[in-house]
Amino acid sequence: MTVDSPMRINPMISHRAAHIGRAVLRREDRSPLTGRRRYVADLRLPGMLEVAFVRSPEAHARIVSIDTGPALALPGVHAVFTGADLDDVAPFPHKILYIQPVGQTALAVDRVRYVGSPYAAVVATDRYVAEDAASLVAAHTEFESLPAVADLDQALAPDAPKLYDDWPDNYLVNYPAEKEEVTRAFEEADHSYSDTFISPRQTGLPLECRGVLADVVDGQVTLWSSTQSPHIVRTTIAEMTGIPEPRIRVITPAMGGGFGTKTHIYPEDVVMPWISRRIGRPVRWIEDRFENLVSAVHARDQRHDVDVAYDDDGTIRAIRCKAYCDVGSGEIFMPGTAPVFVTGGCITGGYDFPNMEVHHFCVVTNKTPAGAYRGFGVPEGLLVMEGIIDQVARRTGVDRVEIRRRMVLQEDQMPYLMHGGGRIDSGSHAKSFERAAELIARSLERIRAEYADDPDVRVGVGYTNYVEPTTPTYHLTTGHWAGYDSATLRVDPDGAARVGLGTTDLGQGTETTAAQLVADSLGLDPDDVTVVMGDTDRAPYGLGAWGSRSAIVMSGSILMAADRVMVKAREIAAHMLEAAAEDVVLTNGEFHVAGSEAPSVSWSQVATAAWVRTVDLPRGMEPGLEMSGYFEPPELEHLPDASGKVNAAASWSNGAHAGVVSVRISTGELKIEDYVVVHDCGTMINPMIIDGQVQGGVAQGVAGAMYEEFQYDPETALPRFASFMEYLYPTCSEVPEMTIEHFETPAPEQPLGVKGCGEGGTIGPGAVVACAVSDALADLGVEIKATPVTPSAIRQAIREASGPGGGA
Amino acid sequence: MMDTNPGSREVDVAVTINGAQVRERVPARLLLSDFIRDVVGLTGTHVGCEHGYCGACTVIVDGDAIRSCSTLAVQADGSNIRTVEDLADGDQLTPMQQAFHENHAMQCGFCTTGFLMTLESVDSADYQDKERVVELLSGNLCRCTGYQNIVTAVCSVWGVDD
Repeated sequence: MTVDSPMRINPMISHRAAHIGRAVLRREDRSPLTGRRRYVADLRLPGMLEVAFVRSPEAHARIVSIDTGPALALPGVHAVFTGADLDDVAPFPHKILYIQPVGQTALAVDRVRYVGSPYAAVVATDRYVAEDAASLVAAHTEFESLPAVADLDQALAPDAPKLYDDWPDNYLVNYPAEKEEVTRAFEEADHSYSDTFISPRQTGLPLECRGVLADVVDGQVTLWSSTQSPHIVRTTIAEMTGIPEPRIRVITPAMGGGFGTKTHIYPEDVVMPWISRRIGRPVRWIEDRFENLVSAVHARDQRHDVDVAYDDDGTIRAIRCKAYCDVGSGEIFMPGTAPVFVTGGCITGGYDFPNMEVHHFCVVTNKTPAGAYRGFGVPEGLLVMEGIIDQVARRTGVDRVEIRRRMVLQEDQMPYLMHGGGRIDSGSHAKSFERAAELIARSLERIRAEYADDPDVRVGVGYTNYVEPTTPTYHLTTGHWAGYDSATLRVDPDGAARVGLGTTDLGQGTETTAAQLVADSLGLDPDDVTVVMGDTDRAPYGLGAWGSRSAIVMSGSILMAADRVMVKAREIAAHMLEAAAEDVVLTNGEFHVAGSEAPSVSWSQVATAAWVRTVDLPRGMEPGLEMSGYFEPPELEHLPDASGKVNAAASWSNGAHAGVVSVRISTGELKIEDYVVVHDCGTMINPMIIDGQVQGGVAQGVAGAMYEEFQYDPETALPRFASFMEYLYPTCSEVPEMTIEHFETPAPEQPLGVKGCGEGGTIGPGAVVACAVSDALADLGVEIKATPVTPSAIRQAIREASGPGGGA
Repeated sequence: MMDTNPGSREVDVAVTINGAQVRERVPARLLLSDFIRDVVGLTGTHVGCEHGYCGACTVIVDGDAIRSCSTLAVQADGSNIRTVEDLADGDQLTPMQQAFHENHAMQCGFCTTGFLMTLESVDSADYQDKERVVELLSGNLCRCTGYQNIVTAVCSVWGVDD
């Protein structure tokens, strides 16, 4: 079947009140409110044992020997396994051919490349004993330390120690680009300059750590894992262990957040079922926070060296960017190579700016592997673009709002082809920016007045225009999967519907929004819809929840399945009404002949005929009332063309963030005084949930803008963090209140016009804060080009700007 | 001679938890959070950081909100403990639970039970302006919501201007 674009609710259905577009309260709320929601750590099985992983305390070392004897002698310890024991498990797949293979094994063998790398597993009666034993294994492991590389510069130095002996250097990816028109623009422009921007190492940090419970009985694997992608976990376990895939069931129980970190397939997902099979008992591993900080993926950690060509009138002619991502040891599946390409592709934000040339690098260091985190490269790029615009404004004296006005995308430019091949389908870029600028101008005046009498405080404003690529291809990330997702929809004899979805819920209210979609596409109430996901046995194959994709893929697959259900239901109803199928319509949940209200047949009568009273079906009709839809988003491309361009996202949400900050010069104290979001994710399914996504996204963006950074010792590459005490996770006191407004520019090619909204909030704050602080301290010559913008970073910038012995 | 196995020493712990008497012999080093979750089986108390920072494990012991992940079970011996499972009356949510629902004050829900117990432990009369409410809530971490809706929910129940 080809997909009609855009897909809409079947026109034969009419309903008292549509549910799509309404702030339907969440059906998921009662269980967390009453303590009944079951996360993986809440699950126990009879006879279950607990596992603790033994993790490298060394940043870079050879494992000389492991003596498991003392650990095994501890009462309560059942087994200890090392990497060598898993010789029947294949390494993690290597599917992307333009990146260097890291050869990651389920447990490290012979060599460890970051603190936290798992190299052995202990099985014991309880977690306490397992941790005692893990400490004993660690204490009896002999390491031979190797020189470690702690950052990009060290990794790229000519005599740098190599992480992988058979590589020529420490580049996981080195993907050059050169554009003739960019070279020409640099020759023709009035001026050019160079600059550097830095987005530090951060991560998603869901409040629930990871966890896996595995139970292998009669060759049947059941695995509960806190993962965003249960089907991909299943396929990977099958590929690595040789266990037939139909015998593996992966269940995502209730999840306590993910934010991208749980899209990856981790060693523990593979080792745990292996252990259960080996020892014949269910086994559980629940990650503790220290493990989580060193062994769940990190993200960001990018540096951008840019050259900018501009004219006296404030026109930015061209930008050349070397985009570096420090991906840590690189030992993670899927690899952490994709975000920097997203940065490169989206760096021009919501602006009409074709003359962009990006050379992408991924570099390995002796740190935790980097991977996915909400925003996935886009915030890093925005920091660069908005910083460049403000810098050019300062250099030319042209107003920074005016430069943005000249560059921001206009509606008549849609669809707009970006420099890297991104095809922005639609949006309200100019309108959103004007509205954000208008809203923030009001508070700027008020806040300036508030601090007018305090000479120690400066006030500044920051503006951004971003795009949020949604529903991206997974092919460029994994080299394997691509872009579709699925729904299997059934109407039961009582007339209630049940949908199985290939996506998952990690806390974003997917059950509620899916029920709204199903309700409208079958003319039911949401209360009559049951939603099942996160279970490979009960839901159809799908790629899971990441990349702000659930809105589009759920809408498409549900509409496809619902249309197929409706075709059959209509035939059954027509038979019962002794009418022609094309004359039958569905009004307020009842099938009847168009133009007449009675007689009618209900969903229950139709479904009862399909499943139970099959004697009532039209002669020869196949029983049953269950249909599936496998939806591949239109316009989504999976491979670059000959020039390297690719539209790697099905749709493009947009937004403008603006914020006012106050900065206390003497202390560097920084406060966001006001924050404005004008947001456009196309058709809104549930505005309440979308606002929640924006609020939470902005909070994480603010965390990245002002607080969070994983710091490593520059000599040893040892982490300088072990808890939330060293990685500052914002509380209620730190996150600003914000104003949120929406435009709804429907995605022209996507089902219902939806676009997706999971990540946009996270994208803006880094650039807003950096630009606003630079603005506030402009008269001191301060320019902020790195996050997090901490008080000490501000004080240092003030000292540096005022020169040696500077007084400010 | 000193016992070198740190897990071998056991103690009796007797508590009242949500009105029920519980007496168990447990390892002396057992955390109260693990006692509540694994021994008593009340898994609504969540463990988010295990170092007393995030507040997901907050329970009420003899009237005070405490971090059960950084308390030993034996320290709670003889006390009266309340957990999130004690809040709703059967199907009937408390006004605060209802306000969390109506204001979309949770997403993944992992932190929610800790917030509810912090709120349950105080007298709202002591928190009659928004700044005080924000200060109170700052002892619990949430990664999903950005806190704004939690503040709104609390203010709506306590009659504080939001």
